Amino acid sequence: MAAVQDGPIESESDKETKTDVLNDGAGNITGSSTGVLSSPPNATSSDTGAAKPMAPPPGPENQQTLLAVLQYLKKNNLLESVDILRREAGLSDDEDSQGTDGSGSAANADEGGNANSLLNRVSIATPAPVAVPAAPPPKASGGEDQPDVNVVLSAYSQQGDPALYDTYYTGLKNFIESVLDCHRAELSQLFYPLFVHMYLELVYNNHEQVGKTFFDKFSGDQECYYQDDLRVLSSVSKREHMRGNETLLDFRTSKFVLRISRDSYQLLKRHLQERQNNQIWNIIQEHLYIDIFDGMPRSKSQIDSMSGSLAGEARREANKVKVFYGLLKEPEIEVPLDDEDEEAENEEGKPKKKKPKKDSMGNKSKKQDPNAPQQARIPLPELKDSDKLDKIMNLKEATKRIRLGPEALPSICFYSFLNAYQGLTAVDFTDDSSLIAGGFADSTVRVWSVTPKKLRRVKSAVDLNVIDKDSDDVLERIMDDKTASESKVMYGHTGPVYGISFSSDRNYLLSSSEDGTVRLWSLQTYTCLVGYKGHNYPVWDTQFSPFGYYFISGGHDRVARLWATDHYQPLRIFAGHLGDVTCTQFHPNSNYVATGSADRTVRMWDVLNGNCVRILTGHKGPIHSLAFSPNGKFLASGATDGRVLLWDIGHGLMIGDLKGHTDTVYALKFSRDGEILASGSMDNTVRLWNAYKAFDDVETDDFTSATGHIHLPENSHELLLGTYMTKSTPVIHLHFTRRNLLLTAGAYNPQ
Amino acid sequence: MASPKTIPKDAQVMIQILKDMGITEYEPRVINQMLEFTYRYVTTIIDDAKIYATHAKKSTVDADDIRLAIQCRMDQSFTSPPPRDFLLEVARQKNQTPLPLIKPYTGPRLPPDRYCLTAPNYRLKSLQKKVTSSAGRITVPRLSVGAVSSRPSTPTLGTPSVQTVASKLGTPVSLTGQRFTVQIPSSQASSVKSAATPSTPTVQNVLINPSIIGSKNILITTNMVSQNSAADSGSLKRKHEDEDDYDTL
Repeated sequence: MAAVQDGPIESESDKETKTDVLNDGAGNITGSSTGVLSSPPNATSSDTGAAKPMAPPPGPENQQTLLAVLQYLKKNNLLESVDILRREAGLSDDEDSQGTDGSGSAANADEGGNANSLLNRVSIATPAPVAVPAAPPPKASGGEDQPDVNVVLSAYSQQGDPALYDTYYTGLKNFIESVLDCHRAELSQLFYPLFVHMYLELVYNNHEQVGKTFFDKFSGDQECYYQDDLRVLSSVSKREHMRGNETLLDFRTSKFVLRISRDSYQLLKRHLQERQNNQIWNIIQEHLYIDIFDGMPRSKSQIDSMSGSLAGEARREANKVKVFYGLLKEPEIEVPLDDEDEEAENEEGKPKKKKPKKDSMGNKSKKQDPNAPQQARIPLPELKDSDKLDKIMNLKEATKRIRLGPEALPSICFYSFLNAYQGLTAVDFTDDSSLIAGGFADSTVRVWSVTPKKLRRVKSAVDLNVIDKDSDDVLERIMDDKTASESKVMYGHTGPVYGISFSSDRNYLLSSSEDGTVRLWSLQTYTCLVGYKGHNYPVWDTQFSPFGYYFISGGHDRVARLWATDHYQPLRIFAGHLGDVTCTQFHPNSNYVATGSADRTVRMWDVLNGNCVRILTGHKGPIHSLAFSPNGKFLASGATDGRVLLWDIGHGLMIGDLKGHTDTVYALKFSRDGEILASGSMDNTVRLWNAYKAFDDVETDDFTSATGHIHLPENSHELLLGTYMTKSTPVIHLHFTRRNLLLTAGAYNPQ
Repeated sequence: MASPKTIPKDAQVMIQILKDMGITEYEPRVINQMLEFTYRYVTTIIDDAKIYATHAKKSTVDADDIRLAIQCRMDQSFTSPPPRDFLLEVARQKNQTPLPLIKPYTGPRLPPDRYCLTAPNYRLKSLQKKVTSSAGRITVPRLSVGAVSSRPSTPTLGTPSVQTVASKLGTPVSLTGQRFTVQIPSSQASSVKSAATPSTPTVQNVLINPSIIGSKNILITTNMVSQNSAADSGSLKRKHEDEDDYDTL
């Protein structure tokens, strides 16, 4: 009984000996957790060296042995035993599976609970008709029908397996091709997730050869935008390869969402159930989430525009939460309005696209914009005097702001970083455009002054004692002119600096790096103040909140974290992405955070409680840039596929698709009043788009929010206002000054 | 790129691997780096496997040893981020606590000092060569040592307040754990204004023998330490230190 582990053992003596014989003959059982009596629960134990003498034929040996035993007993006219065995096998199959799962996970600490839970989710191809397709853990509840053992054996033998997967897939393909046109596009969505899951199952159960042929045969059929994923998949050919790949594991355990109309779904269900293609049905039930909607089936172009992410599309409920996208009320500031005059009172709080001509919200409307969050929804720092001064400056500049439009395009000023040797990894401008900061691959952070005013350090404490603190220009006197220079270098990180962000009061600078830390630098002393540790993996992006005090960071560990400068641990953790978080952005009202990820989705999170309020799919590559419109209603995102997508935050729908760039869009920025969207890309161009026009049609109707159908007008060329080439300098960052001059930055790339 | 005939076989294999993985554009040095990494990784694994084989008293290294070696290395060097369900659980717990309120007007909002990189990372040694604890008194010219906590107000300058030193020297143990300020009385004792404090000469020529003080919490400051100075002077206090940060990652 060496073979037997701690599964519940049936107490049939003769059957026991027979199972023993069969077990010794069967050898190792790898990967299968379909519980059967008295056989080693799963593979891990056998992997670690309990080497059976026979070569291990993989597959559902448990099922096979049970059926073979039954056949044997029948042949030898041991009918009573057959009955008992069948009864107990029929009942205890489920118990066994649960029992062995429990015991399996307890007994096998090799791969840990994780792998076991994954093993539980793996279901082996069970061509034997499964009576209950809706069994929650899709274990083959065998024993109901008693096919001939030869059939069973041939079905489960190794040559049988690949043919089965192959035939199922081909069968489905043929079915879908024979279906009506309107349904075909929708049902074609099934191909990719089914393909990936079937392949992963084959790999997981060590059918390496089979998997390879399966892959070679069908990978070419998949959509072109999945090619990157497929390449990664092709490198995974053994079970051990899957272990370290978190993205694949997440893919296995999360449900791929498909949105299919009810009619198409009925067709599919009918076909699968009548054909006894229960393998596919099993996979669909286990790994796919089919979001059914009533209405017209979608067209191929509609589907294509929304699909592409690693987890399918977003469920409808995911985008139904109310999002307060309005702006917060501006606070009252007494302004010595010298050149201002009495203009019509704006209703404050309303997200209008007018530029704020004044700030004296004297007789402001008391009513709260229904789409704006409460002032105190999240605690925000109070305004200091310096902030108020800054706001006044801002408003004064705003009066001199140029109104942009299709006839009045902005001037563009490009800051090229020379001699950076492709080491420039991040750039940021201050809001008043007086400083530029650059993060480099040699782990330095450099700050330059754009204006003639030089950068100076604050004096040392020794010298600060002598100055007259009551003088008017004390802020000038605390500066040490001996340290004045055009630029300052700050050392501290131990890896390339991938994200950089100024605070709105220009006192602090944040930088995030591959070493896993986010550092806060003081711009008065040009030294590092704090290192925030939490991500233990490269942090790809960081950003200060528009009001200061909070900042977010997103990294390789697939989460984004919200920090406050005075807490050494994050306040919120936004977990949910399946891939690295590559881009993070605050909403102008600081209540929401948008993150773009390598799993090709954009998610919006609520700062108050950390919930994901929007999932936006449609990009076909990792997202590298995000920009909120100044009125807070819209979001633009750019990815490696070169497209810029526009989203309506309130409805959670895509409203625009700007095609034109041929390479990754690394920079996106709206002009100060939201009239123009500028995008900069690795293809060395800056493009300007007419944002007013793109959002115009949206304002009106409450369109198709029920079904989520989108009708994207193909008007990219109409919206494109200009394309500006640089001299082999990829554009990394864009910034509109307060007067609507466009500043851009990039590193000159001589190759 | 050199002509394919002259590239060593390993490099050709690496080129092929890169092509299979879809990487078409890369600098030529990438191949060298990949080969170096491969060499280092493979030798590490094989070395580990040899150790495991000898530990299991086997004469040859077999596949199980290699498998074990790879597994251990994966858990050690090539760790992967935590799994998604774990992250979701952690996030759920973290997101339950409400956002803390922001205290108004507290100056630069930074974490507690021990989480900042603003503390000094050096100590100065005292000039005195002889330290006789039995003597009980250290005559350090122009130097006075006192505890911050016990002193709400700065002693007036020019008077090296030694009385505390004497008592404390006798029990060096008690010095540990207390913060000390080195106050350099001004040699040019300018008039003490209410707001301003006299300038102090440079501190380079003062050395404190750590054996006396014992604690690591010596903070070289000016006399503004125990005054209720404005918040910015508090931050100025930190500027004596240089930027070497010594946080380990």
